[in-house]
Amino acid sequence: MSSRRRRTIAVLFGGRSVEHDVSIVTGHQIMQALPAKQFTVVPVYITRDGAWYTGDALKGLEQYQDERLLERAGVRPCCLSPDTRHHGLILNPLASRFRKSEVLRLDVCFPALHGSHGEDGSLQGLLELADIPYVGCATLGSALANDKILTKMALRQAGLPVLDDFNFSRERWLEQPDAILEAISGSFPFPLFVKPATLGSSIGIGRADNQAQLRASIDIAVNFDRRILVEPAITGGVEINCSVIGFGADFEASVLEQPLSWDDFLSYEDKYLRGDEGMKSAERIIPAPISPQMTAQIQAASVSALKAIDGRGIARIDYLARPESGEFWLNEINTMPGSLALYLWRESGYTAADLVAKLVALALDAQAEKRRNVYDYKTNLLAVASQRGVKGAKGKG
Amino acid sequence: MSEAILWIVAAIWLGGAWLRIVQQARFYQIEEYMSGRYLRWVGADWKRLLPARPLAAWLLGLMLAAAAGGTLPQLILAASALIACAPQHHGEIKKPLVLTARVKRLLVAAAGISALAGLALALAVMRLSAADQPLPYLSIAIHAGGFALLLAAPVWLVCGNALMQPLEAWRRRRYLSAAAATLAQIQPRIIGITGSYGKTTTKRFLQEILSARFHTYASPKSYNTLMGISLAINRDLSNDFRAEIFISEMGAYVEGEIARICQLTPPDIGIITEVGPQHLERFGSLENVRKAKYELIAQLPAAGTAVFNWDNAYIREMVAQGYPAQRLTVSRELTLEQARESGIDWLGSDIRESLAGLSFTATHIPSGTSASIETRVLGEHNVSNLLLCIATAYHLGLPLSDIVMRIRRLSPAESRLERVKTAGGITIFNDAYSANPKSVVSALKVLGMHTGGARLLITPGMVELGALQDEENRKLGVLAAAAATDIVLVGRAQTAAILRGIRSTAFDPARVQVVDTLKEGSDWYQRHLKAGDAVLFLNDLPDTY
Repeated sequence: MSSRRRRTIAVLFGGRSVEHDVSIVTGHQIMQALPAKQFTVVPVYITRDGAWYTGDALKGLEQYQDERLLERAGVRPCCLSPDTRHHGLILNPLASRFRKSEVLRLDVCFPALHGSHGEDGSLQGLLELADIPYVGCATLGSALANDKILTKMALRQAGLPVLDDFNFSRERWLEQPDAILEAISGSFPFPLFVKPATLGSSIGIGRADNQAQLRASIDIAVNFDRRILVEPAITGGVEINCSVIGFGADFEASVLEQPLSWDDFLSYEDKYLRGDEGMKSAERIIPAPISPQMTAQIQAASVSALKAIDGRGIARIDYLARPESGEFWLNEINTMPGSLALYLWRESGYTAADLVAKLVALALDAQAEKRRNVYDYKTNLLAVASQRGVKGAKGKG
Repeated sequence: MSEAILWIVAAIWLGGAWLRIVQQARFYQIEEYMSGRYLRWVGADWKRLLPARPLAAWLLGLMLAAAAGGTLPQLILAASALIACAPQHHGEIKKPLVLTARVKRLLVAAAGISALAGLALALAVMRLSAADQPLPYLSIAIHAGGFALLLAAPVWLVCGNALMQPLEAWRRRRYLSAAAATLAQIQPRIIGITGSYGKTTTKRFLQEILSARFHTYASPKSYNTLMGISLAINRDLSNDFRAEIFISEMGAYVEGEIARICQLTPPDIGIITEVGPQHLERFGSLENVRKAKYELIAQLPAAGTAVFNWDNAYIREMVAQGYPAQRLTVSRELTLEQARESGIDWLGSDIRESLAGLSFTATHIPSGTSASIETRVLGEHNVSNLLLCIATAYHLGLPLSDIVMRIRRLSPAESRLERVKTAGGITIFNDAYSANPKSVVSALKVLGMHTGGARLLITPGMVELGALQDEENRKLGVLAAAAATDIVLVGRAQTAAILRGIRSTAFDPARVQVVDTLKEGSDWYQRHLKAGDAVLFLNDLPDTY
């Protein structure tokens, strides 16, 4: 099918999230991977406090050390319009006599945001309003995967292996910490993990080997989220990750990896900063040294898990496993994995360009699927209501 | 005193001329400000050149004034001028004057020119007056000049239009470049549709089907001229950047017009619906029609796609020209064998039609996949239109199942063989939008399917078919005699050929009426039809007929 023109694609990165910096790296990996023949790339950088900018000067990882980056020529404030007619960015949203406001039409958006305000369904909601095709999970899948408590509920329902947990709110912790500690130690043996319900990466997560550590870990965790879960730590296990891409009936799981630093738990720095180029060279074994059966089981579980949360696009699904016994538990679903899990897909035969092209194609398919829905259903409600007056209309009386 | 009255007489004539200019502007507008066509229309009937009442009033005034003495002649002249200038009735008005900005500019220009002409006449008369000519002579000069001013209203319009040409051309250019800039910003994939008929219907069907996957914009109604399409772009798209696909309907009255539309909306895909004798009198020959329509294909990029209706011999010639490399063809007339042999892409077969709609099987010949299509749309000619849409949508990657589902949801376009039932139980088939030799066959067939009551046909026949017009209308008469139980023909001269066709059959002459206006036709059906009967409105003509 011939197409005269290149598609305009916005890559959104940065963001109001603790994973801001990682997102800049992921965003640049995506921009580099997008073939210039097919795409006009529009970088959209969202600052730590949520200001949006665009401009070609925002391409180039090394520049983000420059504090005056946003003052450079060609860097313009922008926002994504929820009005379907604009179908893209509004440049200079606050126009003045010297700065004209204009629309930059987008064909597709590629959010490369990790964590809050980006991977949690909020940005996806905006893109739904704007009716622009976008890469990755939709609002529901993103929001669900962002919440560890609800993810586990959905996965349990789908018959997937997850660890039991105990969860509670910050208010309850502040009111009655002792009751909570008692309930936890009554349910699970140490060691335990304490996790904020909705944060990505490893921030706020603590390991507790005794009651005092548990109390300290929870005290830290409540700084990061309103809801907390506590689950047993799997001793003698390994971490196994698997990435999945797909939409509709067509899902595919990648090879598995085993990150190496399980022993004493990955710290934030370990997870992202070890190595030279960020995530992709963190130490890991690919493919993970586990049996072919277990590999197949985890790959199948990964596809089921993404389907169970109505996910699409891409995800990296993290497991705890005991290779000797063949047991594994699904730990979390990342709907915008750092570096797009490129290092896994490369082993599965995808170049970076293949992967981003595939993800854009999936985004367009998802958009097409939405077009099958009818949104404009004409009723005579308004005619009836205006005749009878609002009081007589349905819903009021 | 008497001179003052003369000035009043002159003013009355000028006012009359202005009124006539406004009245004539309606017809000028219908002829799309083409002066030649408009003047030919005026000249075609002496009543248009020299309307009876003004002429009588003028002559009578002249004679009475000559006979009377004192100040009476001036008063008589004033009265006669008033009577002559009172607005005329032009019978039924189906399409009133649309007060566009352009028409307003034109009216001001024409009024100005006529006023200047009037002033020049008055100055000439004043010189006569200075030469001490007797008053009756002056009165007669004013009276004659005023009458000329009134009669020349079409001339003032044409002159006004000529005067405004540079301004209009400048505005058009500005308008076009604004539209082009908007499209450049959106960069949708563009599908061009042309053909002698079926353009608007195919466009609407295609928009409906493609919306299953793409945000699809189609130029509204039958906007199919360069200015119409720019208007649509400037109005609908300058603040709406959603469109992924733009369907551009391209009409033509002369060669080169489609090529110009293609410059504004460069197509990636071109669809040719039919080549037939529509607007033949403007094109001269069917060969010229074919050339004009081929401009769409010639303007496609080498990597573009053309979609052709194989059942039309002229279009088959286009396919044989071998451009572009990707040419899709559809047919509803071939057998499966023939379809395979001729290498067409889509075949419509097993076509069934009832008053509930059409059904047929669409087969993709290269792959052998097929789907059964059902739609509420009436008229067998629509099978061709639908096949063109299916070929295009499938080419653009829509699954056949989506296409089938969308076609099931289609409804007929307004006034295109649209079926409605009145509260009184009369079925109306409204095919008033236009008529062509293909569509009348379908429409009469639909009327013929109606059972349980009388089947009335109301039609003014087909026009603009050039040399083929009489023969095509005669055929229409023969078909009508077979399909209808009663026939009302609108317009005597217009329908003479149809009447000949009807009379060549055994149709009961008592059941054919010839009336002058559509309104009389409608009145007739309202008086004579009862519950269970059906009426087909076949074609409607502009007021210039």
